[in-house]
Amino acid sequence: MPLLVSHRENNTQRIAALDEHAEARGLKRGIGIADARAMHPDVEIVEEAPQADRRLLESLADWCDRYTPLVALEGSDGLFLDITGCVHLFGNEERMLEDVLARLFQQGFDVRAGLGSNPGMAWAAARFLDRGIVTPGEETGAMAPLPLAALRIEPATRASLESVGLRTVGAIMTAPRAPLVRRFGATLVTRLDQALGRIEEAITPRLPVPPLSVERHLAEPILHTGDVLQLVGMLARTLRGELERRGEGAHALQLALFRVDGMMNRLAVGASRPLRDPLLIEHLFKERLTALEDRIDAGYGFELVRLSVLKASPFALTQTDLAGERNDDDADLALFSDRIRARLGEKALLRPVLAESHLPERAAALAPAFHRSAGAGPLLPAPAAGQAERPIRLFARPEPVEIVAAEVPEGPPLRFRWRRAVHRVIRSEGPERIAPEWWREPQETPTRDYFRIEDDGGRRYWLFRQGFYAAETMPRWFMHGIFA
Amino acid sequence: MATSAAAREAVFALRSEIARIEGVLPERLAAPEDGLVLRHGPAARRAATSMPAFVRTGVPGFDAALGEGLPRASLTEFHGTETRNAGAVAGFVLCLAGLLRNAGPAAGSGTVCWIGTEDIFREAGLPYLPGLRRPFGFAPDGLMVCAPNDPRDALWIAEEATRQQAFAAIILEMRGHPARLDLTATRRLHRRAQAASRPVFLIREAAGAAPTAAPVRLAVSPAPAALRSTLAGPLAGSIGHAAFAVTVTKSRTAHAGRFILEWSPDDIRFREIRPEDTGALVPASGHRQDHPPKTGTVMALRPPDPAHAASGQPSRKQHPAHRSA
Repeated sequence: MPLLVSHRENNTQRIAALDEHAEARGLKRGIGIADARAMHPDVEIVEEAPQADRRLLESLADWCDRYTPLVALEGSDGLFLDITGCVHLFGNEERMLEDVLARLFQQGFDVRAGLGSNPGMAWAAARFLDRGIVTPGEETGAMAPLPLAALRIEPATRASLESVGLRTVGAIMTAPRAPLVRRFGATLVTRLDQALGRIEEAITPRLPVPPLSVERHLAEPILHTGDVLQLVGMLARTLRGELERRGEGAHALQLALFRVDGMMNRLAVGASRPLRDPLLIEHLFKERLTALEDRIDAGYGFELVRLSVLKASPFALTQTDLAGERNDDDADLALFSDRIRARLGEKALLRPVLAESHLPERAAALAPAFHRSAGAGPLLPAPAAGQAERPIRLFARPEPVEIVAAEVPEGPPLRFRWRRAVHRVIRSEGPERIAPEWWREPQETPTRDYFRIEDDGGRRYWLFRQGFYAAETMPRWFMHGIFA
Repeated sequence: MATSAAAREAVFALRSEIARIEGVLPERLAAPEDGLVLRHGPAARRAATSMPAFVRTGVPGFDAALGEGLPRASLTEFHGTETRNAGAVAGFVLCLAGLLRNAGPAAGSGTVCWIGTEDIFREAGLPYLPGLRRPFGFAPDGLMVCAPNDPRDALWIAEEATRQQAFAAIILEMRGHPARLDLTATRRLHRRAQAASRPVFLIREAAGAAPTAAPVRLAVSPAPAALRSTLAGPLAGSIGHAAFAVTVTKSRTAHAGRFILEWSPDDIRFREIRPEDTGALVPASGHRQDHPPKTGTVMALRPPDPAHAASGQPSRKQHPAHRSA
C-alpha cells in the first residue's frame, strides 16, 4: 500500500514525503492530501513528526561516530562526517563509502552519500551526483553542470536567479561577481566559493572530540557485561601507554558501545584525580555498568567498543616505599568517591562546606565531595564555649509549626504542634535573634527569633518565630533543627 | 638479652622463607614480639599505634554492662523508638565518635562517614556541621555525608567505606528494618568492621528489636538535660548538656540495664545522671498507677489513724512503739 506523510502548510494538508509505491502512481511532494486521496483511495497517510525525525537523525549521528569523531547534523535530513585522517582505517575512500552505505542499507535506510574535499562539495555530490567522489581539484568541473539547488541557497534567491536565466552553477561561475553580490547578497558567492574550496568551511561537530580514544571492532558481537568489562580492561591497557607517553592521566572517560542493530550507548565516568591504572578504570566502569544494568540492552550484541579520554590532565608520579604500601589515604578516598559517583551520581557523596554567615542554613552547605569545582571553604575556627549552641541536625527547609499556647506573645511557646503531634514545652532558652543578611536579602525579609526548647520527653528542638507580632499579622513559627 | 649475630641471621633467613611462601615482601610480615625487624615503615607504625579493643565511656556501670566498654572493631546497633528521637540517637552515636577520637591517635584523618537513606535525612534532618564542632570535636573536614535513595545502595556504600583507611567511624542510618538489612547483612557489616578494625554504627530509627549480628545493641531515647552549671550553682530553667536514656538490649555480658548518660563535651566523656541528681525525690516506678488514688470516700468513713503518717508508714519516732505493740 502506498504510504504518504502529510504536513500542514498554509492551512492545508500536503504531502511531505512519500514512498516508492506512491511515486510509481504519479504522486509528488506538495500535492494536497485531499487530492491524493481522491485519486488513490487506498493510500495510507501518517502525520509528520519532526521531533521523532530529529531523534532518528541524532541516533544515526551517534552511530556514525564509529567512522569519525567529527559528526555534524545538517538540516533535518543530513549528516556531515569529517573523515580526515580516518580513511586509512577502511582502506580507501571508496571502500569506506561502500561500508557506510551497505551498513545503513542493512538497517533499512535509503541513503545518498557524496564525498568531497569540502562540506559544500560533498553536500552537492550527495544530492546530485550518485555516489560521487569528487577528488580535490575537480570541483569546478563537477559543480558546473549541476542545478542551482546544489549551492545550498534560499529557494527565493534560486527562483529569482532562474528567472534571469541563470540555471546552472556553471552560469554563476562565469557571471561577473560584483552585480551578483549587489543583487543577490554575499551568501550566494560565499556558497559558491565554499563548494569550490576557495573558502575554508568548518562543520560544527555535535560532540567535543576526545583527545585520546581506542576502539576495538569485534567479529563476533558480545552480549555479557563481563565481556564488556574485560574489553574495557584491554582498551585501558592500550590507553595507558599513550597516557604515559603524554605524561597525563584521564579525568573523564567515556565508553561507547555500538550495537549490531545501530543503537549506541555512551557511559561516562569521572575521576577526581587523574587515572592511568587499567584496573581502576575497569572498576569505575564496573560500578557504572552495575548501576545501569537494567537500562542498557545489549540486544543482539555489541560489535564495536570504544574507550575515549574526554579530559586529561598532568599525572603526578609518586614513589611508593620499599614495602609497596602507599601512605596516601587521599588517593584511596578519591577512588572511593569516584566509584560511588560512578554508580549513584554526582550528588551521592557530600561534604559540608562552611561559610562565613550567621544564617544557619547558609553557614554550612552540603556540596559534592571531591568535586573539581568544590573549594575547601574558609577555615573557620571552632565556635567558642560561650557561643549559642547549634543543632546537630538541620532540616533542609524549616517545617511549619502550629503554636497552641504561649505565655507571652514574644516569648517561647507553651505547647506546639509539629507533624500532627502536640509537644508540651518544659524548658526553653532564648530568644537568639538572627536578622536577615540585608546585603543579600530583600528589604522586607523578616527577622527570626530562635528558641532552644526541651519538651516533656526530653527532646530538644530549635524553633524560630519569623517576624514580630503586629496589629494585624501573626508571625509564623518553624522547626529548624534538632539537638542531641 | 643480646641476640647473637648467627641467631639473628637465622631469623632473617626464616622470615624471608616465610615471606616467599606467603608471597609477600619480608617487610610486610607481621611484627615479631621483640620488634627485631620492623622499626620503620608503615607496618611498624601500624603496630605501634594499635588501639585498645574497647572504648571506655567513662561510666563504670555502663562499661561493665557492655563487657569492658564499647567494642571498637565491630558493628554496634542503636535503636530509636520514634523518628522524632532521631536527634538523641544520632547525638549519642556522635558522642561515641567523639570518644573514639579522644581515645588515642585515631586511624587516618578521623573523618566520620555518615550514610543515610534520603528519606531519613528528609524526615530527621541533615547533619549540620556547625552543631557538631564544639560538642563532639569535629574538624571542618571531619564529616562526609552520603544520601543515596535506596537502602541497598546505602548498604553498599557502608561496606565500601569500611575499607577506607581515612574513615575513623562509619555511621549507617536507616529507617526501621529494611528487608535488605537482615541478619546476613548485619553479619557482613560486622565482619567488615572486624577486618578493618574500625567501628560501624548502625542506627535504626523508629524500629524495635530484631535479630542482629551486632554484639552490642542499645536502645537510645532522649532524657531531660540537667541544668547549666554556673559559678552561682545550677541556672534555673536552663537546658544543659545533652542527656540520653540508654538501655542495653544486647551485650556480651547479657546484663540488662538502663542508664541516664550526660555527655560532657569539656572533658569528652559521659557522666551518669543518677535519679537523685535530677532533683526528683521518688524514683520512676513502672508498676504503680501514675495518678493518686481517689481518697474522698475513704477519708469520710474512717478517719486516719493518728499513729500513722499520711504516707501510711509509721513515723520514725513511733516506729518502735508500733512494733512492740
